[in-house]
Amino acid sequence: MGETLRRGRERVPGMCIKCKVTKPSVTIRQSLYCKECFIKTSIVKFRTGQSRLRKDTPHLQTKALVAFSGGATSSAMLKLVVDHQNSVRKDVDSTPAYTGIVIGHIDETCLFPEAPEEEIRAISGESGLLYKTVGVEEVFTLAGGRRTALIEIVQASIAPGAERDQFCARLVRPASSASHKEYLKALFSSLGSTTDREAMLDVIKRFLILQLARETGCGVVLMGDSGTRIATKTVALTSRGRGFSLPIEVAAKSQWFGDVSVWRPMRDFVAKEIVFFNYWTGQRSAVVPTFTTGEARLGSIDRLAEAFIAELDQDFSSTVPTVCRTMQKLEPHDEALSALPCLICGMPADDNAQAWRNRLTISSNDAEDGSIRSSPSATLPESSLLASDNTSSLLEIARAVCYACQSLLHHASPGMVLPEFCVERLGAQDVSGRSAQGTTGAQRETLRKQIDEFLLKDEDGACDNSAVY
Amino acid sequence: MPRQCDICQRARAIIRRPKTGQRICKECFFHVFETEVHHTIVDGRLFSPGDRVGIGASGGKDSTVLAYVMKTLNERYSYGLELFLLSVDEGIAGYRDDSLETVKRNKEQYGLPLMIVSYEQLYGWSMDSIVEAVGRKNNCTFCGVFRRQALDRGALMLDLDHIVTGHNADDVAETILMNLLRGDIPRLGRCTEITTAGDGYMGRSKPFKYAYEKEIVMYAYLKRLDYFSTECTYSPNAYRGYARQFLKDLESVRPSAIIDIIHSGEAIKVSEEVQAQKPSSCERCGYISSNAVCKACALLEGLERGIPKLGISRSAKHFERQAVEPVHFERLREKAHEMRRRRMCGDSNPCTTTSCDDSCHGTTCACTTDDDGAGGCH
Repeated sequence: MGETLRRGRERVPGMCIKCKVTKPSVTIRQSLYCKECFIKTSIVKFRTGQSRLRKDTPHLQTKALVAFSGGATSSAMLKLVVDHQNSVRKDVDSTPAYTGIVIGHIDETCLFPEAPEEEIRAISGESGLLYKTVGVEEVFTLAGGRRTALIEIVQASIAPGAERDQFCARLVRPASSASHKEYLKALFSSLGSTTDREAMLDVIKRFLILQLARETGCGVVLMGDSGTRIATKTVALTSRGRGFSLPIEVAAKSQWFGDVSVWRPMRDFVAKEIVFFNYWTGQRSAVVPTFTTGEARLGSIDRLAEAFIAELDQDFSSTVPTVCRTMQKLEPHDEALSALPCLICGMPADDNAQAWRNRLTISSNDAEDGSIRSSPSATLPESSLLASDNTSSLLEIARAVCYACQSLLHHASPGMVLPEFCVERLGAQDVSGRSAQGTTGAQRETLRKQIDEFLLKDEDGACDNSAVY
Repeated sequence: MPRQCDICQRARAIIRRPKTGQRICKECFFHVFETEVHHTIVDGRLFSPGDRVGIGASGGKDSTVLAYVMKTLNERYSYGLELFLLSVDEGIAGYRDDSLETVKRNKEQYGLPLMIVSYEQLYGWSMDSIVEAVGRKNNCTFCGVFRRQALDRGALMLDLDHIVTGHNADDVAETILMNLLRGDIPRLGRCTEITTAGDGYMGRSKPFKYAYEKEIVMYAYLKRLDYFSTECTYSPNAYRGYARQFLKDLESVRPSAIIDIIHSGEAIKVSEEVQAQKPSSCERCGYISSNAVCKACALLEGLERGIPKLGISRSAKHFERQAVEPVHFERLREKAHEMRRRRMCGDSNPCTTTSCDDSCHGTTCACTTDDDGAGGCH
């Protein structure tokens, strides 16, 4: 027996590392695999990963939403999930991994008219699963189709690093004539850079996917972030100042969103493995356009991070697995777990972010007396998308916005209109159970009072405030 | 038409500030740069009045600007510090000998006492001789390990309370990225700290932690400071080269990214189970070490035995023979205590109160050296 085991571990030069009798077809991190063994290994690896994710909740019985963009990783994930679900052995008393699987897709045609929606629908159709899709512009509609209020950023500071950064917003009622698409296009054209547009799209897609999961009764969302993507995200999010929420955003399993758990079962696969898996199993995938498709490496921070990881991985092939392992060892700060969600991204907002920046980047000579140079009312814009008969007092929202989203606001045009979920988060902050303390709590209460008339109460059938992420 | 300064609204703007994107005039740039460093010092509680602070001076842009700014702020805000220039001579011909000439000029320009400690004096090896023995690969390991310890040795010879180094925001951001990519979790937790314990005897800090490299260069240029700008003649680190290039690219995409990375690094929390083990002392030289024998002693042993690569790739505990014996840190600390005691009693010490290029060599001033090279004065 011992002899057999030892022989099992030995490598046969020039042969597949698993079966040892077939000529290899692919090299994955210095290991050679034949086609059949590679496919088998990938399936086993995925199932092992699933078991690991269920370690804390082995008897979890819930539906899962597969977040499906149509790209290579989410297509591979779809195939693997379906395969796992159908692998229940009839001869023993076992149950499928999930009580049901739904495919959730965000239709980005509004931003990218060339998006291959038909192809994506066809790929998902091959699985025979329920396919739910929602347009990215639908972020400007709350569940139930009501339109309540939007947040208009009327002033985003004077300059980066002013003594008291001002992030002033006001609540406005949307003009009845404007369409969701117009709002969405206006939002993206207000953003200052491609990096910010990518960040905002990620935020919106995450919100919509979570909404889809809630609507379809799924307790788990499966995100198709490969190991390569995790490494890229780690570098990009760190570079965007998102260290506070980084452990949540790349975690294998995150409970941050309360009622919906977000899992990343593809993190054990590098991009090369996914490409070969799809090719050899005949899994189709689509080419999904992004803001930097076809652009040079300096197109945005995400694009640069992707190029950087790809180059580094060529010379140091252990880079991606190392970064993924490093991320597993990080954990969110206690303060992050009890922090309130940022108005814009829904990730924990660091209370000290603004003070930290102001102390280290001075942009006025009179900084030390704490004076503000210009008055907010001087720059109030008029937007055709908003109902003009509605005026409300200005809200100081700096403390409700995380460090990275403050940077986003710095570079945005005045008059930027944010979706309704921002209003919800603003209103939810003191009732969400993640209550703030001390003076911050008092400030948030003041904020809440200011927006009270715009908040839907439970009897109006509004969605649960505690779940606005 | 010339553009006005975004800050004072009066003078003509001459630079676009990388950190904020503002167009500002020369005087406003000096003001904000110096005030930000002052904030870093005050918020980090780096010093106490009466502290003897050594400025790690290489003659390069960072340390030259650091010396100038420290002197300026010490006078402007009455920190009450006694400042010293402390240089390490690694023994690299055509590089360090030229840069040390710059440091010597800085000593005159700023009126600060200077001490130079050399690898040859401390360890019996110069970098040129080390490169001759080990080749061009991996020699940066020797230089880095020895430099860190040499600074602490020099600081003890001068009985300093604190050492400040010219590490800037770019260096810190690069280190955060490197540690993330290498998976060096304990260092990831430590690298953003503004003050580190040094050898456990004195603090070591980075007042330029939030100052952009570009702004330091601008400051040196606009103040017409005298600094030395040549890369080290020995090979740069390939892996760090990737991180550096990425950072430069990142800065061109979003100039604030450097400070954003530092914000991220400070916010990242390392799980307690992977926190670094508690350091102890090297059983040979008494320097802070997480192993029984510190890295410098291990490398020295390897050099002496003619197998320097062992010192890099294997644990020090495999070595049995001690080939070189640098002065024990306990002895240096005793000397420092003695110097402090004498100072308290009003017994002036020429080595630490006058400017002296070769203090503890007994060549150009009244100070003399112990036979064992431990420094201090008789």
